[in-house]
Amino acid sequence: MIERINRIDSSLIQKNQNNTEKNTNGLNFQNMLKDAINEVNNLQNNANEEVVNYVVGKTTDVHQVIVAAEKASLSLRLTTEVTNKIVEAYKEIMRMQL
Amino acid sequence: MDSLFRTINVASSGMTAERFRLDVISQNLSNADTTKTENGGPYVRKGVTFQEVLNNTLSGTSQFSGVKVNEIFEDDAPFRLEYDPSHPEANEEGYVEYPNVNVLNEMIDMITAQRAYDLNASVISTAKNMYNSALNIGK
Repeated sequence: MIERINRIDSSLIQKNQNNTEKNTNGLNFQNMLKDAINEVNNLQNNANEEVVNYVVGKTTDVHQVIVAAEKASLSLRLTTEVTNKIVEAYKEIMRMQL
Repeated sequence: MDSLFRTINVASSGMTAERFRLDVISQNLSNADTTKTENGGPYVRKGVTFQEVLNNTLSGTSQFSGVKVNEIFEDDAPFRLEYDPSHPEANEEGYVEYPNVNVLNEMIDMITAQRAYDLNASVISTAKNMYNSALNIGK
């Protein structure tokens, strides 16, 4: 005998959705990327600030300006490297034969 | 992110300290023959002492975070006496008190400061290279 197919229960879907939300809570990739980009942005703003401080004469240390710029550049490289990896993985999945 | 840049911050504080030392040395050198100061008497040689900086973390452990200038001290070595009766600052016997600055010592200090500054700069570029090699793993 063929069993009758049950109607999809909307409460079941909701439960599943809740589960996935719980699993990704806090470890969301989107949030992670957003945080990283914010960090890079902050570092670049710092570098800008240092340059302005140097130009107006607030700081007299040249190395602090360069160090700030270097920090911004390194963290930007890290972020782009991670993003490239993710995009690569996404493309790999898209190429998958279904 | 902070721990990756800690080395760079520490070395940068070292560079700031050495630059400050050069400030003091240049003050000593430019006043090597100054016989008159605001406090009266000849210029007194200044020196600088450094102090380690530790940052206390939330977990109670202390983390090294570089160096800072502790204090500027005055050298209590005796003044250099020179016989020059025509000098307006000469005393009754005709001797003039010149600062206790030894130009040769200042030159040596200057070389030390420059080398230390260079060393800290090399530390920064090494840290940068290490960071870049870590990034190149992904290529």
